[in-house]
Amino acid sequence: MAVRRIEVRERVMAKNDELAAAVRGRLARHSVTAFNLVSSPGSGKTLLLERTLEALGDTLRIAVVTGDVQTQNDADRLARRTGRLVQAVVTDGACHLDARQITAALDGIDLADTDLLFIENVGNLVCPASWDLGENAKIVVFSATEGEDKPLKYPKMFRESRYAVLNKMDLLPHLQFDVDQAVSMARQVQPDIEFFYTSALTGEGMAEWCAFLRRASLASSE
Amino acid sequence: MHEMSVALEVLSIVEQHVGTESLGTVSKVGLEVGDEAGVVLESLEFCLGVLLAAAPFDSATADVERVDGDTLRVTYLEVEDGRT
Repeated sequence: MAVRRIEVRERVMAKNDELAAAVRGRLARHSVTAFNLVSSPGSGKTLLLERTLEALGDTLRIAVVTGDVQTQNDADRLARRTGRLVQAVVTDGACHLDARQITAALDGIDLADTDLLFIENVGNLVCPASWDLGENAKIVVFSATEGEDKPLKYPKMFRESRYAVLNKMDLLPHLQFDVDQAVSMARQVQPDIEFFYTSALTGEGMAEWCAFLRRASLASSE
Repeated sequence: MHEMSVALEVLSIVEQHVGTESLGTVSKVGLEVGDEAGVVLESLEFCLGVLLAAAPFDSATADVERVDGDTLRVTYLEVEDGRT
């Protein structure tokens, strides 16, 4: 039987990007600033968010969507720091969150009563880089206990991220971690990346981080 | 690591074309995958191979072309349905 060829030229991520654009529109209508926190497992995203909720929860209305392969542990931890609903997405095996899950998670959040939305992505420096969730920016969190060359090993993630948080700064005296080298490697792949240096545990650098979040949230509501 | 998600998305694009354009049997699915698309070629080919060998495709194959940049798209379908 004759074979005929049909031109398709359709982007594989088109459906996700369409949903992400709709999420972005929804957030913009309500002047909500959204950050997609991406990192390897164990970089301290959840503690960073716990401390952020403690520091800003009284002045900013913060919503959180967490993504994990299994368990709602992170959402439970965060829920103890806020009176607001923390939406947990259990991906059940999937290595990243996609815009479909965020669309559904937003249905449970009162966006009119929200200033700032954090999406705590699945701990993974590879896959979440490929999925736009409708956020204002991705923020890559990495910690001083990881190698300085994380940005070179996972360039797509750093290229997609507008900001980087270097966490666990309190451990520097015990580690052979060269901060300048880490920053310079990150700038090799993403020259415009802006850094924050924090220890969520001791509170170091949290004032600058929180000031940035306040500014970002104000910028959206103007 | 997310090649199966990508492969499933490819399948849903193919199925949509089959449905809306009433296409017959799909024998080949052409793709372009950029070297910065964050996709492991061999892994994607493996996933597509498994999915395209099963119903409703049965014996379709994937033709994956490596290109520059972060392109990730379905480029063409080959169908056998007696039409020209």
